[in-house]
Amino acid sequence: MSTSTVYRGRSGQWAFVGHRISGVLVFLFLLLHIVDVSLINLSTELYDEVHELYGNVLLRLFEVGLLLALLFHSLNGLRVVAVDFFPGAVRNERRLLSAVVILTLVAGLPCGYVILKPFIDGTLLG
Amino acid sequence: MSTRVSPSPTPTEVVPAAAARVRRPRPSFETWSWFFMRVSGLVLVFLALAHFALTHIVNDVVETDAAFVAERWDNPLWRLFDWTLLALALLHGLNGLRWSIDDYVRRPALRAGVKAVVYTVSGVLFAYGTFTIVTFAS
Repeated sequence: MSTSTVYRGRSGQWAFVGHRISGVLVFLFLLLHIVDVSLINLSTELYDEVHELYGNVLLRLFEVGLLLALLFHSLNGLRVVAVDFFPGAVRNERRLLSAVVILTLVAGLPCGYVILKPFIDGTLLG
Repeated sequence: MSTRVSPSPTPTEVVPAAAARVRRPRPSFETWSWFFMRVSGLVLVFLALAHFALTHIVNDVVETDAAFVAERWDNPLWRLFDWTLLALALLHGLNGLRWSIDDYVRRPALRAGVKAVVYTVSGVLFAYGTFTIVTFAS
């Protein structure tokens, strides 16, 4: 019998994969974000020029993705901490992961709408 | 029934407190690394989500221009908030990336090389971000 922790497919495997991917994506954005904010010390005009790009619809979609990654990573991280402190929670593993996914969407989609709203309004009102 | 060969106590045996203490392994670097991920993660749930809400939900992202930053950074507590977020997020992310690199990059030389690049880039950007937050003057 293996003594190491191995996920054999199913919900735990997907939670692990989702946690890794969302974590790496947020980390890469953080590196970029340090550079774009630091432009403010070179020139506030340059900062504003680069910063305006974040209002672009493509980057707004990217921000919705960032929010979903942040929410999933946060809530799944809380699930991991909960299981560490209450090992019995493992028995409700699948339900816990469902709660993580549902909460991510319940919080993420309305906020995603708020982020995209200027674009939606702009298109609708011409 | 065979003779017991293992010296390890069965659950019914009473283990003296001193012996129990000896059996517990000393916390290694990886134990602290695990602990740091739990603690920084819990703090980051609040810091990162509050930061995102403030710059994308409460205010629209185009409103968070240089004037917005200048006004916020007039208050040293916001600088402290931002620096804490920067430091914890970078360390938390760096440690997670270190675990991932150990999982997927198996060739020793390549692993050392990838880590060297990741540590250098993160270290330089941490210094640069800290410099920005500390020295900004409106």
